[in-house]
Amino acid sequence: MAIEEEKKFINLINEHQGLIHKISMMYEHDPDARNDLFQEIVLQLWKSFPSFRGEAKITTWMYRIALNTAISGFRKSTRHIKTEDLQEVHLNISEGAGDDREEDFQKLQWAIRQLSEIERAIIMLALEEVPYEEIAETIGITQNNVRVRMNRIREKLRTLMIPEHGT
Amino acid sequence: MELDELKSIWKNNPDFQAKAESEIALMLKGTSQSIVHKLKRSVWFELIFTAIAGIGLLVYALTLPSGALKWTSISILVLFVVYSFYYIKKLVLLKRFNPAIENVRANLEILINNLTGYLKFYKRSYTILYPVYFVLGLLFAAIERGTDEFIEILSHPKTILYLIFVAGVFFFFSTWFTNWYLKKLYGNHLTKLKGLLNDLDV
Repeated sequence: MAIEEEKKFINLINEHQGLIHKISMMYEHDPDARNDLFQEIVLQLWKSFPSFRGEAKITTWMYRIALNTAISGFRKSTRHIKTEDLQEVHLNISEGAGDDREEDFQKLQWAIRQLSEIERAIIMLALEEVPYEEIAETIGITQNNVRVRMNRIREKLRTLMIPEHGT
Repeated sequence: MELDELKSIWKNNPDFQAKAESEIALMLKGTSQSIVHKLKRSVWFELIFTAIAGIGLLVYALTLPSGALKWTSISILVLFVVYSFYYIKKLVLLKRFNPAIENVRANLEILINNLTGYLKFYKRSYTILYPVYFVLGLLFAAIERGTDEFIEILSHPKTILYLIFVAGVFFFFSTWFTNWYLKKLYGNHLTKLKGLLNDLDV
């Protein structure tokens, strides 16, 4: 029974691991720290798995736990704290065989990481096409507040992603 | 930059290096780095330490003849029993904590309450109980020597000044060390959590 449950869970993670990767990537720049966060999210999901009764969408449940883990539940090791700048992002792109799409994505990733932790959660959910009502419920703010914050976030991202500002 | 534009960039993300099933299975056997898990570990450590120290102290107290040292040991044992109940209550509360059912705000509020309560308890026990035991120890010593001799010793201003100085140094260093240790342990994380909650209210 326990083995069956574990198999079911691993299949679930396998199917939705992109979601965990994206959250880890938004909250941690360093590859080791990102890996640690990925593992911590998987552990927290596993611990909460028995209490998941399927009343909510599986992704809603996953977003909630993953974001709580990334924002407040995870205590970073000091060895992982490292600053990052846009030049480093450009360097990574030129080192790899990246195209325009990848460059835009890397820039967006970098810009999102400059936002506050709460703002990162909101923009990530919005980019994943989660309705504002669900974003409000996941974060614990009003829908109106989500709208106001989204406007601010868009403005910040615009400033960060325009080349004159970034380089 | 419009949201649709950002969404289209987001959707074009390069493939992630997918984790293999065996790798995910291995992760389930790892140790959590979560703050709740660390708190649980700390409380378990304190509980086990209290139990071992309590048993040791009890065995030692039973071998002592009636006197100041015996009564000091017994009073510390009583305190250990009270502490054990507190630790058990804390473990029950931490066990109930489930981030799955809470949204980000509620999760932050619960974590802040838990950590604040935990830190307050430690601060109180270290900064209040140590001086109390300092005074208690003196009192038991006085009883052991006899009230007359004790009053005689205390009547010397030099002794009073010496005791005040020792108590002051003891209180200052225990408070300073406790504050430093607790800040290092969970205080910085608590400040971060409070900042996040404030960010939600802006």
